[in-house]
Amino acid sequence: MAPATLALEMIEISKSFPGVRALDGVSFDCARGEVHALCGENGAGKSTLIKILGGVYRPDAGRMRLDGREVAFSHPVAARRAGVSIIHQELSLLPERSVAENIYLGVEPTRFGALDRAKMRNGAAGLLRRLGSTIAPDIRAGDLSIAQQQIVEIAKALAVEARILVMDEPTAALDDVDASRLLELVRRLSGEGVSIIYVSHRMPEIQAVSHRVTVLKDGRSALTAAIGDAPVGRLVRAMVGRDLADFYPARAAAPAGPAVLNIRDASNSRLRGVNLALCAGEILGVAGLEGSGKRSLAQAIFGDEPFESGAIEILGERRAPPSPRAAIELGIGCLSDDRKREGLLLQQSVRDNAMLTQRAFANPLRPPNASPMSLDETDALLRKLDVRAASFDQEIRLLSGGNQQKAIIARWLARAPEILIFCEPTRGVDVATKAAIYKIMRDLAASGRAILMISSDLPEVIGVSDRILVMREGAIAGELPGGASEEDVMAIAVGHAAETPALVS
Amino acid sequence: MTLVLDQRRPASRALALARKVNVAVIVFLVLYLAIGLLQPTYFEPAGLMNFLRRAAPLAILSAGQLFVLASGGFDLSVGSLITLTVIGGSMLTANDPSRTWWAIAALYGVGLAVGLINGAVVAFLKTPSIIATLGTLLSVNGAAMMWSGGAPRGYLPDNFRMFGRLVLHDVPIVKIFPIAIAVLAVCGALAYWGFHGAVFGRRILAVGDNPRAAELSGVRVRSVRIGVFVISALAAVTAGIMLGGFGGVSVDVGLGLELQSIAACVVGGVQLMGGRGSVTGAIAGALTLFALFTLLTLLGLPQPLKETAQGLILIAAVALGAWRRRRAV
Repeated sequence: MAPATLALEMIEISKSFPGVRALDGVSFDCARGEVHALCGENGAGKSTLIKILGGVYRPDAGRMRLDGREVAFSHPVAARRAGVSIIHQELSLLPERSVAENIYLGVEPTRFGALDRAKMRNGAAGLLRRLGSTIAPDIRAGDLSIAQQQIVEIAKALAVEARILVMDEPTAALDDVDASRLLELVRRLSGEGVSIIYVSHRMPEIQAVSHRVTVLKDGRSALTAAIGDAPVGRLVRAMVGRDLADFYPARAAAPAGPAVLNIRDASNSRLRGVNLALCAGEILGVAGLEGSGKRSLAQAIFGDEPFESGAIEILGERRAPPSPRAAIELGIGCLSDDRKREGLLLQQSVRDNAMLTQRAFANPLRPPNASPMSLDETDALLRKLDVRAASFDQEIRLLSGGNQQKAIIARWLARAPEILIFCEPTRGVDVATKAAIYKIMRDLAASGRAILMISSDLPEVIGVSDRILVMREGAIAGELPGGASEEDVMAIAVGHAAETPALVS
Repeated sequence: MTLVLDQRRPASRALALARKVNVAVIVFLVLYLAIGLLQPTYFEPAGLMNFLRRAAPLAILSAGQLFVLASGGFDLSVGSLITLTVIGGSMLTANDPSRTWWAIAALYGVGLAVGLINGAVVAFLKTPSIIATLGTLLSVNGAAMMWSGGAPRGYLPDNFRMFGRLVLHDVPIVKIFPIAIAVLAVCGALAYWGFHGAVFGRRILAVGDNPRAAELSGVRVRSVRIGVFVISALAAVTAGIMLGGFGGVSVDVGLGLELQSIAACVVGGVQLMGGRGSVTGAIAGALTLFALFTLLTLLGLPQPLKETAQGLILIAAVALGAWRRRRAV
């Protein structure tokens, strides 16, 4: 499908930053009502292209046309006025304001100069209905689930009659059920004539929802093709420049070692009767829908929201750590699923980020770069994990998501913990870095560490884990072997399968 | 980034180096030049030494404030703590030079207590520090008033006033050398070590940047918060002892100094929301601010106009800093 009128044309766009040529003569277009997927590794130039379209950056060279008219945006507001709306990966709703107020933020309807609340509420309700949602316009945006917030963001775009909607990894934080609902919505909007630029790392989604796909690599357009001509293999090759035959590393050859973490009948306000045993040398995957308690399980083990009852034995110690610090002292590390809010020190250097945990336990009066881990050792570790930065002195916020993630993994590896919890280890990370992170996890397991991986990415859970626990409603609903089918996992996650007895160790 | 810069022409490399120098240092040099042109004595060693002597208390206070700001907080109580130090000094010594040393020890004890209270309220009661220290400001001011009975009496003994006032004469090169500059040098070196030369400083920046991430990485966030308020309070007592040597005992010695110290830090490139700052910046910011006050006085502007000019120049300095930072990305 390629209708005659092009809603958007970006022609030969180039943009450089100090030390990086982010975009080099990239052309991109989108027809009315077309879903055009945009993919590429982190750092390939996707965000730069989107920011130019959204008026955040000005291109060094190149032209842009909307409906055939030449445009140049000096400011994000100008882009929004021209009908370009961007829904960022990090949602931007004001949590304390109502849904209706968020939808009309900056474009509030007025009557005789005063805010017209009735019109705003009705308009918001109408927009939400159009999106097939039943969210009440009056509730606080902060009370909505991530999936609902996403719908409100879309309504917000429609409130300014967006003709071009950019969705940046819209399903990254959603579980499979909500993600498929969102894809349905994308199809519906496209049917209404909205042009959608769909940025995602998830191949099945791209295949399911888009008409055309463009792959960026190193700031150039590597491929633009109708989706029928671009099977996953071709897309991946275009993205990484090679085949990813060994995307998931081979499972452990040796049987798992002794249990290092034993939890019996443990509960807190969000978890009930959890039983699990985690052994040295294995990767134990935990799957489940959003709200199933898989995140709470990680928080409980790591002492962030500890268990309130039950028997917990960690590395021979019979006590539940009451705080993350205590958990780290016991030998646990935990990679958070919310990199920006719970992991990164955005304004500090890559090095400072990697050294944080070591410094948290060092003598506060010792020199910062000498103890207990020297600058050279830190740099060596960062290099070993292939963290790519112009310099390790660079602020970490300037790195791509994949490199940020590897720098935080370095923070944990610096302490060599016996138990490592990886929460959504590859969220918002490009394909090549994903494979690298899987390899790091497998190497750690092979060296005798115990890995607990919490993930909403089903192919990942199935491909990486030695065993899979499926959670539902705060409890462990079943266990499956690694390599189980997605259907089996989903059946337990949604409660369609007969409960298999929870793991008894 | 360095890699790329090195490939550029030498001229742009020099420009890049200039961009790295703290903006406050440049502004200070320009202001001081203007002062010297108006009043040539400032170009003489004695003039410079005297300028530094009078700027020293604000510089020490700003170095202390830096610790709190970098951790993402504010310490509004330092001005009133200075007042309490001066009044308390006169009450405790009661004009008896032999009591000076234990009076100073007692004042540092008071400072320690105020810092611990500020820190504990912020760390454990989760009160925003701007509110918590506003409360301390009022209480400490009240305590100073009550202690002095509303009208401060007495004088500070000479050995107490020495830290602010004593000047060594016949020193080679600089001719005169005020003790206050030595105090500033010691405090500055201590602050530099604590902030840049020890793990503690990196923890402060981590807490100021992202307290949640710091906590999940094992940093004792509460201890850091308490620590920075104690440091700020001890800096305030030090500044107070020096200011006691400058003038007489009054109830408004510390008036407005909390805001001046915050302004000095901001001029020196310290970020108000935490996570970024340097001791050099804080001290250079304080010197800049003090040079500005001196310049406006030399120009003979009437007081209200002086304050307006101060405000405008402050805003300009902060905007310049923000602009440079944006350019740097």
